[in-house]
Amino acid sequence: MTVGADLRSRLRFLVRVVQRESKHLLATDSRVFTGPFTVECARRLDGDIELSERVEAFVARFSRLQDTIGDKLIPVLLHALGEPLGAVVDNLDRAERLGWLPSADEWLATRKLRNQMIHEYVEDPAILASALQAGHERVPMLIMASTTLLTEIEQRGWLADVAP
Amino acid sequence: MRLDAEHIRQLKRLAAEAGGSQARLRLFGSRLDDHAVGGDVDLLLEVPEPVLDPAWLVASMAARASRILDGRKVDVVLAAPNIARLPIHEAAMRQGVVL
Repeated sequence: MTVGADLRSRLRFLVRVVQRESKHLLATDSRVFTGPFTVECARRLDGDIELSERVEAFVARFSRLQDTIGDKLIPVLLHALGEPLGAVVDNLDRAERLGWLPSADEWLATRKLRNQMIHEYVEDPAILASALQAGHERVPMLIMASTTLLTEIEQRGWLADVAP
Repeated sequence: MRLDAEHIRQLKRLAAEAGGSQARLRLFGSRLDDHAVGGDVDLLLEVPEPVLDPAWLVASMAARASRILDGRKVDVVLAAPNIARLPIHEAAMRQGVVL
């Protein structure tokens, strides 16, 4: 399939962004989750500035990577493949069928999970701890999705400067 | 109440899958107002047993309910013995209608 220079350039840019965002998410993930994120950890957030800044970085990086993959990279890649674009959920279903995501439902639930990770907003430390721990457990899914998509793009030769 | 019978049936089945056969589901918020238009769907899931992974249960239930309701935005509030009882729970129980 021939993909125009603008589309290839857009894909290459998004690949670089996803690579950086994945790296940064993994770095923060390992700094926040040295053990299970317990209710006690959540209670410490108000007074422990360093921990709360790390958690905030985790949530921001987690959210950015998921949004870049789901809202940008997947639609651009579907477009490059000549697939019809639809609503977010339709694009995610198509990504699941193409083997890029393990489950569109899990992806959508992960988006909903993010609202519960904001410590100024969530008043029950049990919910906050549960949300952050669940987020940590979904990091491998995000990294796996980014790796799968990047491999797909690379195998099609779309990372090269000129069309093959 | 602005939810049709088929959607209610599917939401109740989802609540039973997520929270067990004893779980109860209430609709609250703007969808109770027959004169309003559109709006998010607010659900309260009441579970009589402690929930191991409450944030994930809420998130996955909201995502699946949104699918059932053709992509409408759904917010789920969970009431369970191991979850703090907040004003949102009181309001949802006071004004909510059991589905």
